[in-house]
Amino acid sequence: MPFLHERLPNGLDVIAETSDAAVSTSVGFFVATGSRDESDGVSGVSHFLEHMVFKGTPGITGDEINHRFDAMGASANAFTSEEDTVYYASVLPEQQHEAVDLLTAMMRPALRGADFDTEKLVILEEIRMYDDQPPFGADDRCRAAYFGQHPLARSVLGSVESITSLPVEAMRDYHRLRYAPGTMVLAASGAVDFPALVESAKRLCGDWEPAAPTERRRPQPPRQAAHPGTERIVKATAALDYAVWMVAAPDEFHDDRHAARLLAILLGDSSGSRLYWGLVDSGEAEQAACLYQDFLDAGLFITQLSCDAADVETLRQRIADIYAAAAAGGVEQAEFERARNKLASRVVLGGEKPRRRLFDIGLDWSHARTYRSVSEHLRLVEGVMLDDVHRVLRAWPLDAPAAAVIAGPDGEG
Amino acid sequence: MKQSLHSTTLGNGITIVGERLPELESVAVAFHAPVGAIHDPLGKCGLATVTGEMCLRGAGSRDSRRLVEDLESAGVQLAQGVSSTHISVSGAMVARQLAEVLPIYADILRRPLLPADELPAARQMVLQNLAGIEDEPAHRTLAALRRLQSPAPWGMPTEGISAEVESIEIDDVRRFVARNLQPAGMIVSVAGRIEWDDFVRHVEALLGDWQAAPVSPVATGPRGPATLHVAHDAQQTHVAVGWPAPPYRDDTSHEATAALAVLGGGPSSRFFTEIRERRALCYTVSAGYQTSREFAHAVCYSGTSADRAQETLDVMLAEIARLPGTITRDEVDRVKARAKSGLIMQQESSAARAGAIARQWYHLRALRTLAEELERYDRLDVAAIEAWLAAHPARDLTVVSLGREPLEVPHALPA
Repeated sequence: MPFLHERLPNGLDVIAETSDAAVSTSVGFFVATGSRDESDGVSGVSHFLEHMVFKGTPGITGDEINHRFDAMGASANAFTSEEDTVYYASVLPEQQHEAVDLLTAMMRPALRGADFDTEKLVILEEIRMYDDQPPFGADDRCRAAYFGQHPLARSVLGSVESITSLPVEAMRDYHRLRYAPGTMVLAASGAVDFPALVESAKRLCGDWEPAAPTERRRPQPPRQAAHPGTERIVKATAALDYAVWMVAAPDEFHDDRHAARLLAILLGDSSGSRLYWGLVDSGEAEQAACLYQDFLDAGLFITQLSCDAADVETLRQRIADIYAAAAAGGVEQAEFERARNKLASRVVLGGEKPRRRLFDIGLDWSHARTYRSVSEHLRLVEGVMLDDVHRVLRAWPLDAPAAAVIAGPDGEG
Repeated sequence: MKQSLHSTTLGNGITIVGERLPELESVAVAFHAPVGAIHDPLGKCGLATVTGEMCLRGAGSRDSRRLVEDLESAGVQLAQGVSSTHISVSGAMVARQLAEVLPIYADILRRPLLPADELPAARQMVLQNLAGIEDEPAHRTLAALRRLQSPAPWGMPTEGISAEVESIEIDDVRRFVARNLQPAGMIVSVAGRIEWDDFVRHVEALLGDWQAAPVSPVATGPRGPATLHVAHDAQQTHVAVGWPAPPYRDDTSHEATAALAVLGGGPSSRFFTEIRERRALCYTVSAGYQTSREFAHAVCYSGTSADRAQETLDVMLAEIARLPGTITRDEVDRVKARAKSGLIMQQESSAARAGAIARQWYHLRALRTLAEELERYDRLDVAAIEAWLAAHPARDLTVVSLGREPLEVPHALPA
């Protein structure tokens, strides 16, 4: 799968991974901005702006955007995280030109006041929807407790208050600052006509004003929970307790990130892991999982537990015992190899899907200006050794003091 | 596009369907046994689901743990699921692993150990899942709609009913397996980098001598009432609306799919435009076509703040009423473009294709090539969809709400 790259004079990077086998083309803009780039007065603006990008440009209405995507048979959408805002469309190859045209135009939205006021109501509905369903805000609250003053503490959705009070001018300023060529990547994967992609980019983005990229990584990233301890969210109607807790893990530039991912699979994958056999197989927990999440300058091991409220403390202790046993007794070669085979198989199967590859190459380029092919990724996974996992267990203890939040039916614990 | 589709039926009634996708490294395989929640005995709703779980808790010479570990060592992404009509076990993997793991799947189907000491855990797992569903308002709303508008036992919750799951004993599971887990009517589907002849030989060697036994037909009972409100104290109220439509095997299922896609199938649909974009009443709104082999329904859904739920329902009903006679050519062109590109993109996923050909065989007892499917969409036009709407008007609506207050449901669609 050849990789192609060209940088426009204004600093916009255009990249593609092409595949002869693909029958579709995925294209997307990766904007290096998310909730970590916000300030108190504009909490939630990155995600709200993502919605507003679909409401039109000075020359295109929001309805036209929806009609044009559907008319080209596109599967088009967007998402916002702590660190990224991504817009994408998967289309048949003959629609590449039209998809790039539309996505590119959208990156310079009109941000009309009337649309802003209407869409605000949709954002508020989205906040209420997540607030009404598991884990009832426990994940956001836990990240805030872990990160404290670090910008990764910020909620992607924002709050009802921050969204209600956000003025449209603040969004326009934020857009001007963050949607500049140096902080954006135009990426494509699958059956890509790269010369045509570059030509489209030059024609449509060539006049975008460059802006100096800002350093987003913090000099002293957190290596432990800012506010260790357990908070409670009371949801009187909840059937189960939903607990989440976070401890430190390697960041996305750390050599041990693949070993960390492997360790999380081994300990807490949704099947066949130590947490699965220890809590889920017996039917004691609805879910017990360990996830690894990496950011530019921090990483997290996130443990999620849902179970009957009466059992939550017992099962938290059981998970702590499982983590302590792994730290003290290490990992066996056979279970290590099983976890590595699982991860390797996910890399190969995921690599077949152009959409999935778009996200991988776009985010890698946006964060690190690097490209990793599927085989390079596979080589990195297969290069992880048992010793590496043991080193991660020692350096990033899962039983360290955690930031924890439990949402559930009563406040007694 | 040249396509390599295959099917064959063994002497005991197992049909094998396959598609060779030589560009892929992966293969996806699925075994769909024709037994599901509709076969749950009265008072044991959830038995099929407990049985599906028990089948993975040891089979052949492997105990529960070894079975999962051997599949995972081979890098198999294992899945097990129970629907109204099927218990399915499936897996996606790198193609070279297929021959090694097929015997494990055959053991799961033919030689499940069904150990008595695993039953409490399997039952408890199903109960945990049911408790989790209590916290998922959208899921509950759509499940309630399904239960009301389908005749018993087709609408019964596949996940089970807590009080009934608690009463399930190991003999129930063993009897259920002995009576219902049969080769006749089973579909084995495979897609990806396969050699068809080798695959058929291997499946035949593993399952060919499995003797079929007669299965008693499922008796159909009455359906539920037309409206239901479920009290739920939360910020949002959830609304689901449905009405009957012909099933997929009816020759006009493409017209049905298209009509409902115009209504609520994408960002340019009527629902999205009127309910979300114009009025900002909700974050989620949709309409679609849901079909089993015997019954099908139009299903519409939205979730919104309690004080805006009545308006959301009113606009949904107004849009349903407005649809006949107003469909435009642009709308049909967009629906066709979306459906066709979706069909073509399926070719990039072995799991998607294995699922699609299994569904086709179940509904049609035949496989349609991609070219045939595309041609059916090409033939669609405004007149065909309008004719379908005229022949199948939105009548006998079922309306479910879940939230703080019941909604006012009119007896008929607005004029």
